[in-house]
Amino acid sequence: MIAWPLPASRLPLAESVAEAFANLYAQRQRSALALLGILIGTASIVAMLTIGHMAQLETLKLFRHLGVDMLQIHAMPAGDAPAGVLDRGVVERLPASDPAVLAATPLVADHDTVSAGAKTFDLGIAAVTASLPRLMTLTVGQGRFIEPIDDDNLVAVVGVQAAQKLSAPGAPLIPGAKVGLKGYIFTVIGVLDSVPYTALDPMDVNNSVLIPLAGARRVFEPPDPTTALVHLRPEADVKAAGQRISAALANRTATLQVMSARDLIRGMNAQKAIHSQLLTAVGAISLLVGGIGVMNVMLMGVMERRREIGLRAAIGATPGDLQFMFLVEAGALAFVGGVVGLACGLLAALVTAKASGWSFSLALWVLPLGPGVAALVGVAFGLYPAVKASRLNPIEALRSE
Amino acid sequence: MTVAVLELIEVEKNYGQPGRPIPVLRGVSFTIEAGAFCAIVGPSGSGKSTLMNIAGLLEAPSAGAVRLGGAAIDVASADEAAAIRGRELGFVFQAFNLLPRLTAWENVALPLLYGRTPRAERKPAAVAMLEQVGLGKRAGHRPFELSGGEQQRVALARALIREPKLILADEPTGNLDSVTAGEMMALLRDLNRGLAVTVLMVTHDRDLADRCDRRIDMLDGRIVGDTAFA
Repeated sequence: MIAWPLPASRLPLAESVAEAFANLYAQRQRSALALLGILIGTASIVAMLTIGHMAQLETLKLFRHLGVDMLQIHAMPAGDAPAGVLDRGVVERLPASDPAVLAATPLVADHDTVSAGAKTFDLGIAAVTASLPRLMTLTVGQGRFIEPIDDDNLVAVVGVQAAQKLSAPGAPLIPGAKVGLKGYIFTVIGVLDSVPYTALDPMDVNNSVLIPLAGARRVFEPPDPTTALVHLRPEADVKAAGQRISAALANRTATLQVMSARDLIRGMNAQKAIHSQLLTAVGAISLLVGGIGVMNVMLMGVMERRREIGLRAAIGATPGDLQFMFLVEAGALAFVGGVVGLACGLLAALVTAKASGWSFSLALWVLPLGPGVAALVGVAFGLYPAVKASRLNPIEALRSE
Repeated sequence: MTVAVLELIEVEKNYGQPGRPIPVLRGVSFTIEAGAFCAIVGPSGSGKSTLMNIAGLLEAPSAGAVRLGGAAIDVASADEAAAIRGRELGFVFQAFNLLPRLTAWENVALPLLYGRTPRAERKPAAVAMLEQVGLGKRAGHRPFELSGGEQQRVALARALIREPKLILADEPTGNLDSVTAGEMMALLRDLNRGLAVTVLMVTHDRDLADRCDRRIDMLDGRIVGDTAFA
């Protein structure tokens, strides 16, 4: 429909637009009804685009502290093996053996009962090495992290929420405190700062107690690492590196599962794309219905204003002038719907952001898009009424009572 | 030597389907000279309104020719017909046909929009024209605030604003009482004499027609009489 040649009219645009708004205001009740469909359509499209934009930012934020060049290799039990394990030495030699690897750390994670004084809690337990903080960008709030000299000692580093739970009232858990785990007493040497949880984390660090991997046999059976976190060089081919690392770590006990941050982001975006498509479809259908509403109102206007059309023809308006007049009116009507729809859509996005705990972010390119698409729909659906107006017989129009 | 403003040459007009035409005009020819004040009278169905529409380039004749100011008009080109209509003809209708949303001067200025007159020049021209028809003080009023006679004078000002060669008036007094109708006729006569405006008026009122310079009688699609008054 848009390919239809637009009417040849030399009427001044600004004046025609002002005139169109005056006409629409004169029949504001009917105009308002016609706006509704356009409004809903624009609002859902604007909301969808803005929410999608915010969701993408949130996803990126989740991975910001981790970096998007992360791989997690997890060993699943293979065949009748009781547990799948990785070779710690191979993991720790990865930066030297594979040119795409910047850093790698082995760990084993589970959860178990941890006691402090008379209280017990079910918390995450992970056996880790000194290289973990660098890979997960962990920082120590109090005390220090596990170091190679701690390998034979009963020491633990506690996540911030785990530390709160293990604290006695009025006596917060601080380095030097004792916690019980599997019948051993561990001395707390550090409390971590809070860290955002991301999909690639092998455990929720905030709710975990970390112990040296060398002493894992006291808690874990088998005491070997089951997971490796690998930091790749930014320019590395993630897929090829994942395959090489899997080959290096392959053993009979395990089926290796490789997850990359990029894959996860892609997966999340794909899921969001489905939501976006759904909302786009709703928006498109609303716009279609809105467009038909505009057409309906314009056709009614053409019938009611037959005399005016006839008169304008008699005093020198060309068919192009008449088409132009009604097209501008349809466009203006839809544009108003688009502007109000934009406001409603942004409001809906704001409410969604508040409800999801996201920070509101506006994609500037959405601003002209909503009313622009609406006006385009108005003009497209205004074409038929406009052409109809220009083909009225002026005499019949002037005689109609 | 008198100049022909409007010439109709053997104009025929048929309505109805092709093959079963209903003739409305059966070969009408006449000439209106510059400065004339002419009435066309006839009973309903005599074809006078159709004649008016053809003379006003609102409808194309089935056969014959229309010449305005000596030039043959091709009504088939809608854009060209519209341009000539705006430039050389002025219409006055029985039902006034003012746009209710616009003030008197805005109604009068409307033809200037289609004549591409710059916006700033339109209001002074429209107010001046309203003064000419004695409504200078009513320029800012809307049609519903004006009497029937005043509305018709606004319509007349609108017809005159682009200084047309010919005013076509279709039952201009049909919606007016006899006193107001008389005033309207006097105004038309003044404009005809004072500004040398050529007027062609269609009416079914013979008394009104007899106050013009010339009366053309129509019956059944033909001219049956053409009388000039001294």
